[in-house]
Amino acid sequence: MSDSVVVNYKLAKAPIYSHCFSQDRSILALTLNSDCLVFRLIPNGKPQLVATLPDHDKTVTSVDISIHGRIVTCSQDRNAIVWEPLSDGSYKPTLVLLRINRAATCVKWAPSGYKFAVGSSARIIAICYYEQENDWWVSKHIKKPIKSTVNCLSWHPNGIMLACGGTDGYVRAFSGFVKGLDSKEQVSNSPWADKFPFGALIREWYDGAWIHGVAWRGSQEKLAFVTHNGTFNVVDASDEILTAEYPEGLPLTSVVWVNDHEAVCGGFSCHPVLFSEGANGWQFSKNIDKSVASRTPVAASFEGGDDQDENPSFGISALRKFKDLDLKGKVSTQVQECTHENAIMELAPYAESSGNVTEVSSCGLDGKVVIYRV
Amino acid sequence: MSQSLRPYLTAVRYSLQAALNLTNFSSQVVERHNRPEVEVPNTSAELLLQPMNVSRNEHEQVLIEPSVNSVRVSIKVKQADEIEQILVHKFTRFLEQRAESFYVLRRVPIEGFSISFLITNKHTETMNTEKLVDFIIDFMEEVDKEISEMKLFLNARARFVAEAYLGEFVY
Amino acid sequence: MEDWRRIDIDAFDPDSGRLNAEDLTPPNLKVVSASEIEPRISQLRSAATSGDFASALQLVTNDPPYGADETTKTRYFEAVLSVLTQVRQAEIANLVKQLSLKQVDVLIKYLYKGMSVPEGQKQGGILLSWFEKVTQNSGVAPVVRYLSDRRTV
Repeated sequence: MSDSVVVNYKLAKAPIYSHCFSQDRSILALTLNSDCLVFRLIPNGKPQLVATLPDHDKTVTSVDISIHGRIVTCSQDRNAIVWEPLSDGSYKPTLVLLRINRAATCVKWAPSGYKFAVGSSARIIAICYYEQENDWWVSKHIKKPIKSTVNCLSWHPNGIMLACGGTDGYVRAFSGFVKGLDSKEQVSNSPWADKFPFGALIREWYDGAWIHGVAWRGSQEKLAFVTHNGTFNVVDASDEILTAEYPEGLPLTSVVWVNDHEAVCGGFSCHPVLFSEGANGWQFSKNIDKSVASRTPVAASFEGGDDQDENPSFGISALRKFKDLDLKGKVSTQVQECTHENAIMELAPYAESSGNVTEVSSCGLDGKVVIYRV
Repeated sequence: MSQSLRPYLTAVRYSLQAALNLTNFSSQVVERHNRPEVEVPNTSAELLLQPMNVSRNEHEQVLIEPSVNSVRVSIKVKQADEIEQILVHKFTRFLEQRAESFYVLRRVPIEGFSISFLITNKHTETMNTEKLVDFIIDFMEEVDKEISEMKLFLNARARFVAEAYLGEFVY
Repeated sequence: MEDWRRIDIDAFDPDSGRLNAEDLTPPNLKVVSASEIEPRISQLRSAATSGDFASALQLVTNDPPYGADETTKTRYFEAVLSVLTQVRQAEIANLVKQLSLKQVDVLIKYLYKGMSVPEGQKQGGILLSWFEKVTQNSGVAPVVRYLSDRRTV
C-alpha cells in the first residue's frame, strides 16, 4: 500500500457497484447484492453497520445520499426507493413509481436534494420529484434520442442540466427543469442554451465507445467523460472535444474533478489515475497508489507450469491440471501493487479544501472502499 | 517453448486482457433478466465489441468475442491427422461433460472450434482476471502437449497389441 | 410449417429500439469509392516491390478507407496484407517504432482482420510477430481501443 491511501475499508465479500458518503461524511452507504448497507464511520475504527436496506429483490446498482440525508437506491428490479432517515437511526422506505420496464442502472440526486434522476436499460431517464398533495414521488421521462442503456448521470451544479452517457456511445446533456421546483434564474447566462424546457436535448457528443462516467465542472462550464476505450475527454460549450489517452489502456469507469485543471479517473486498472490540463491540453499526469515496479505479465506467468510437467500418470494429468488450479495460483509470485484488487467501479470526492478536492473515495468489485489522497 | 508459440500466446494474452473488462449489465430486452449478451441471438449490436481472431496458422486459432458482460473464447486445437482429430474430440468431450466443475467452460464449442469458454462478469468479479487469463493460456499450452502424448501412447499400445496378436501366427 | 417460435419478432418492430450493425457506423464517416482506392492500391504495391516498406506502412496506416464498401475494403486489404507479409522479421520492430498512436490503432485493425481470413492465417506467424512488436511498444492500449472502435477496415 502506498502512502496515497488514507483509509482502506474491506466491507463486503461481493462487488460494491456504488457507494456514497453523506454530506458531513459520517454515514457511508453502499450497495451489496440486493441490499444497501448503511455504515456509521468511527474515527480510527472500522465502520459500524447501522442499517440494512433490504427492499430490493435484484442487484442494487446505485445509491446516492442527498444533502438532507435521504438515501435513494435503484436496482435491476426496475424500482427506486427513497429512504427517509428516522430519529431512531432506521430508515423509512418509499417506493418511487419510475414507470420503467427494465433495470434501473444509476441514480443521482440533484444538488438541491429535491429531485433525482434515474438512468435505465429501458433507454429512459426518469426525473423524480416529491409531490406534496399526493404524498408520493412522481417521475417524468426523458426518452429521445437515447438509443441504449444509460450508464452514468451527472447533474450540473445549477441543478437543471443533466449529462448522461451510455452504451450507445453518445454523451448527452438534457434539461431536467421541473416546473415549481426550479426557477429560470438558475440557468440565466448559461453558455449552453437559452431555453431549458423539460427533456430538451441541449447537446450531444459522439464518441463511439461505451461511456462509463460523466462529470460536470460547473465553474468552468465543462463536462468530462471517460470511456470503455480508456480515454478521458473534456467538452465545453463550444463543442470541442479534448481527448487524453490513458497509456495503460484499460477502460476507465469513473471520473471526478479535482480542480479546474485536474481530474481523477478510476477503472479496470484497479488504481486511480490523474489527468491534468497543461499547455498542450489534457494529458495523463500520474498513477495514484501504484508501486513503481511495473508488472511483467508475459514472463512471470509462464514459469509456474514448467516444474511439474514430468508426470508418469499421464492422461489424468489434464484432469489434475484443473484440480490443481487453486494451488497453481500460489505458484506464480504475484505482488499486489494496488490497494484495490479488482476494478474500481465508482469514484467520489471525499474531502475538499479551498476549491480543491484533496481526497477521493472509491469502491470496487473486490468489496473495498478506499480513500485516496490526491 | 517453441519460437512461434510465444508470439501466439502473447497475442492471446493481450487480447484477453483487453476483452475481460466486464460490467454487470442487465438485459435491455427481457425484464429482470441478466444474461451473457454474447450468447443472446439477435442482441442489440452496440453491446458487442469487435471480435478478435488470433491465428498461428489455419489449424491453430483462437476466436475471442467480447461483449458488455461476457466474453466467449473459442480455441481450435491443432489436429494434424485423423487420430489427433479423434483424440481432440474425445478429450474436449471429456472436459465438456464436466463443465460445471470448470466454471468457465462452455458445454458445446461454437462451430469450427474444438472447445469454447464463456467468461461472464460473475467470474471476473469473483476471480482474479489475471489468473483467468493465465488459465486459458495454460490450457492452450498443455492441450497440445497432452494430445501428442496421447497419440504416442496410442501408437505404442497399438504396436504392442499388434505384436501380441500377430505373434500367434509366427511359427 | 415455418418454425414460428423462432421468428425474431423484434426485427419487424420499428419501435423495438434494437440497434443493428449499420446503426453503429459513426456519423460523418467519409464515403470512399472504389475508383479512389485503385490508385492507392497500386501505390502500395509499387512501394512494396521497391522494398520501401517504411513509406508503404505510412500509406497503410494513414487514412484507411473506413467509408468504403465491403468489396473495396477487401481489395484494399489484400494489398495491405501483401505489404505486411513481405516485410522481413528483423525490420518489424523498427517500422513499428516509427508509428504514431493513431497509426498503431489502424495497424492493429489490419492485423486482426488478417488473422480472421484464410489468406492471412497462412501467414499467421508474421502477423503475430507484428502483433508482438506492437504490444511490446504500447501494451494493451491499442487492443482496448480496437475493441470499441466501430470504424472497420
